[in-house]
This record gives sequence, structure tokens and C-alpha cells, in this order.
Amino acid sequence: MRVIAHKAAKVKNLSANQTLTLISLLVFAVAIATLACASGSFDISLWAIVQGQASALENNVFMQIRVPRVLLSGFVGASLGLSGAALQGLFRNPLADPGLIGVSAGAALGAAIVIVLGSRFGVGATLGAFLLPMAAISGAALVILLLYILTSGFGYQGVTYMLLVGIAVNALASVGIGILTYISSDSELRGLTFWTMGSFGGVTWALLVPALLLITAALLAMVPAARALDLLQLGEIEASRLGIDVGRLRYRVIFAAAVAVGASVSLSGMIGFVGLVIPHLVRIVGGVHHCYLLPGSAMAGAGLMIAADLIARTVIQPAELPVGLITSAIGSPFFLWLIFRMKKL
Amino acid sequence: MVNLSDEKTVSISGVSLSVIIGRQSLLDNVSLNVKEGEILSIIGPNGAGKSTLVATLAGDMTPSNGTISYDNRDLTELSIQDRAMIRSVMAQSQPVAFDFSVQDIIKMGWVRGSDIESTSRYATALACIVEDCSIAHLLHRKFNTLSGGEHRRVHFARALVQLWRPETCSSRGYLLLDEPVANLDLAHEIRLLKQVRSLADQGVGVLLVLHDLNIAAKFSDKIAILQAGRLACIGSPGDVLTAERLTRIFQIPISVDTHSLSISYY
Repeated sequence: MRVIAHKAAKVKNLSANQTLTLISLLVFAVAIATLACASGSFDISLWAIVQGQASALENNVFMQIRVPRVLLSGFVGASLGLSGAALQGLFRNPLADPGLIGVSAGAALGAAIVIVLGSRFGVGATLGAFLLPMAAISGAALVILLLYILTSGFGYQGVTYMLLVGIAVNALASVGIGILTYISSDSELRGLTFWTMGSFGGVTWALLVPALLLITAALLAMVPAARALDLLQLGEIEASRLGIDVGRLRYRVIFAAAVAVGASVSLSGMIGFVGLVIPHLVRIVGGVHHCYLLPGSAMAGAGLMIAADLIARTVIQPAELPVGLITSAIGSPFFLWLIFRMKKL
Repeated sequence: MVNLSDEKTVSISGVSLSVIIGRQSLLDNVSLNVKEGEILSIIGPNGAGKSTLVATLAGDMTPSNGTISYDNRDLTELSIQDRAMIRSVMAQSQPVAFDFSVQDIIKMGWVRGSDIESTSRYATALACIVEDCSIAHLLHRKFNTLSGGEHRRVHFARALVQLWRPETCSSRGYLLLDEPVANLDLAHEIRLLKQVRSLADQGVGVLLVLHDLNIAAKFSDKIAILQAGRLACIGSPGDVLTAERLTRIFQIPISVDTHSLSISYY
């Protein structure tokens, strides 16, 4: 009996299996990123670039198109995966996904307002590069706060109410985007339609850098909340009896998730189901502890999103599929399976 | 200022808690204290305010007036982390959203850090508590697959992990238990209460909400009766548990054998 107890006694945060899984996920993400930088409608020899023997065209495609695109898809995947995991923990709800519950839609509405109305009030390009993520972040934050206020107090039924609130918020945001579409000019319209599909194409360093900084900050803010999120699964009152400042935890997660999702949506549009599917996959492989789940979801999200984008831009060359189409094609059956499984419980 | 009173107690004085919307007072001017090494049982009809009393003492809700203090320190001066170190609460619990194992749930009670020294302390504490609670066979099970009674036993073990402290520590802390034996079979009920008794003998101050009057009579040092948010009576089991008083409060005929202090309900 003592032996069992001692084996169980590891306060050490990660189990060996979890450490191994995290390392594998990291290796996978780096490998797929390398592959994605090399391949596309125009294949590049990475070895030539490292040796400095690549042509100017190759160098140009690599630095101005491939690397920004792979970085963006990796960071967006990481931020959606991690935000999904953290929001599922915060709401104690396995179906919380930034897309399903309307957070991405809120961010898209914020961004759309800047695209359509910003140009009318003469916002310059430089200011726009910051205004766009800021507006998207505000939209995302508003939706998460609204969700939190509306679903707290429902206890375990919160699962259903959260999805219902998500339907309403999604509808409301699409009304807003619809009105903006109606009053927008041709060039604004082109910018807007891109949000409904989700794509990593056409990103430039100037747009990318502010968003990457914001996403990095948000990811770093979320990971230390791991133990508190574990304890929160006992209930808010139990967690506070165990010394967790639930109010502070709540605002930390809400704010970080809003920044991560908002900055992502402002550059890539709405990409569905990543925040739902990734944390579940990571839990199935290595367990539910947030000290493993949060970094694991970020790495798996990055790797799988880069892979999805690689498929999106190579499968029907030289044309391109919207990456949101691919994630939704995988994610929506998964969502149905999750609901089916909940029925059995 | 030198503290003249060396006695360690958790005390609640003049507390009244009101629900503004219903204009209904849940606790009305309740004063009591639990000394270290003492078991105080709270009994009373449903809706008398027993769980509210536990929640207020734990610091979950703020009383509209009155003060709560632990070892002469006002509860409002203690941070959330300090509170977690000084008192441990076991109350009716909610389901856990994800598939945590029993050992994960128990580890959540460990509030004393995760450096190497604390880790070896946790190993010691866990080994003792798992043996005392006889839950070794449950450790690797998923918490959500356990029965109601097993849930209670695991939460009790978690409360003990939270309360655990080195031998050198002068204060043993306080344990607040809201119906700890609900859903437990007779053997586990007695076993848990004997554990509570031995914790009290080591110096832990215990506040216990119970429904079974015979169990309360047997295991308590003091008994308090709550009725409609008011403290109807507090004192030693022999003084408090009289046939006339119990009949009046619970409104069914109750007789008490004063010699063996056994209570019959019919």
C-alpha cells in the first residue's frame, strides 16, 4: 500500500508521458513548419537558402511569402488551441470554442468596423495595422465578458446555455457584418469577405509583427494559470477555499484569450473548430492537467494549423482552398461526436 | 500588542447574514466558537442555516454584520491563500468537468508549494492519509466514475491533505465539515468520525454539521442547535439534548435516555 501511495505521490507537475508528448509535439510543429516553408506552388530548396546559393526569386518568395505565412498559421493555431483549452477550463465546459461561442465573431465584427468605417474617417495604413487587432481584441473581450455574465450561476447546465448564447452572439455579429457589407465599397467588400472564410494568404511583415507580439504576450500570460485552472474544476467556491483568487484568474484568462483570438482573427479571419478539437486531442493523448494541456494545445494547434494551411495551398494547385474550410470539415464531425459522447454520460 | 489570550479558537460573533432580495435573514445574531482540539456539532431542521453558517465561517460569503476570527485574526485580514492554510472545508460538492483521476483531486488539496522539500512532505502526508482513509484502491480511478459515497471519502482525504502540516507547527488548523457522512455506509460513517475524533485529539478544531442526533451525541464535545437562522442552544451534549427541547425543535416526539444519552425518534 505504501508503494502505491509513493508512486502516486509525485507532486512533480508533468508525468513522464506528458513530457514526452510535449517534446514530440514540439518536434512535429518544427518539422511541419520546415516542410511548409519549402513546399508550395513553387518549391524551394532550404539547403540552398541556408548556403546562400539560392536565386533572388527564391530568397524573395521564401522571406516575403513563405516564412510570414507559416509563422502566421503557426501562431494563429497556437493561439486558438491554447485559448480553447483555457476557455474550456475557465467555463468548466468541454464545448467552449472561440468560434462556437461567438468570440471569433465578435472579433471579426470589431475588425470589420475598422475596415469599413476606418477608411471613411481617414485612418492611415500605419495606424490601421494597430487599430485592426485592437478592434478585434475589444470585440472578442466584450463577447467573453458577456458570456461569463450570462452563463455564471447556471452551474452544470452552463454547457447548454453557453452554446445558446453563442448562437445569439454569432447571429448578432453576422447582422453587424451584413450591414457593413451592404454599405461597403468594392475594395472594402473584398477585405470583408475574407473574414467569413479564413485565410493566411497575403500577409505582410508589417501586419504580422504587431499581431505576433500580442499573441506571444497572451500565450505567456495564460500558461502560469495552469494550477489555478486545475483547481477551478472543483468549482469556483472550492477553488477559492483552496487559496485561488478566482476573480483574478477569471480576468487573466478572459483578457489573454481575447488578445490571442482578437489578434489572430484580425489577420486570418474566422477559422472554426480549432479551439474545440485541439484541446480534446491533446487530452486524449496525455491527460487533463492544465500544466500539460496549455502548452500541448499551443504546440499541437501550431503544428496542425501549419499542416492544414499546407494542404489548403497545395491540394488544388495553383488555386487555393480557404483553410477555414479544411478545419471545419475536420472539426464539425468531431463536434457531433463530442455531443454524442456527452449523451452517453 | 501582546496577545493576552493564548487560546486558539475560530470564533464567530454576532453574525447575521441577510438575503437582500427576499428580505429574509439566513443567520440571525449567531455567536459561537470552536477551540482547538474540540468538536462542535451543528444540528437543526432543514433550512435552519447550517450550511450557510459553514459557508460564512469558511469566508465564502461576507456577513452583513458581525465578525469572524481565526486564532484572534479577523477573517477579513486573511488573504485567500492564508485562509487556505488555516482552515479546510468539506461541503456538498459539484461534479468535475474533466476526467481527473482520484489522485489528481487529492493533490489539489496540497496548498503548501511544489518545491522539492514540499514534494517530499506531500509524499509523507499522502501516504498516511491514503492509509487512514483506506482509498488506495481508488487512487488511479477516474473521479467521475466513483459512487456518491466514494466521492465524499475522496473529498474528505483532500480536506485532510489541505489541513496537513509539519509536526513543528504550533497550530493544527480548523476543519469545517458540512454533512461529511451523507451517502456513506454505516462502517465508513463510523470510521470517518473516528478519524475526525483523532484529528481533534491532535489539536484540530472541528465544526461538524450532522443530522444523526445519536452520532452527534457520541462524537461531539459541544453541540449547537440552529433553528430558523438563530442559535437555539449551545453546550455539552448532555445539556443540549433534552427530550423536551428536541421535540419542540424537530416537531416529532423524541425521547432521550439521559443515562446513555441515546435518542429515540418514535
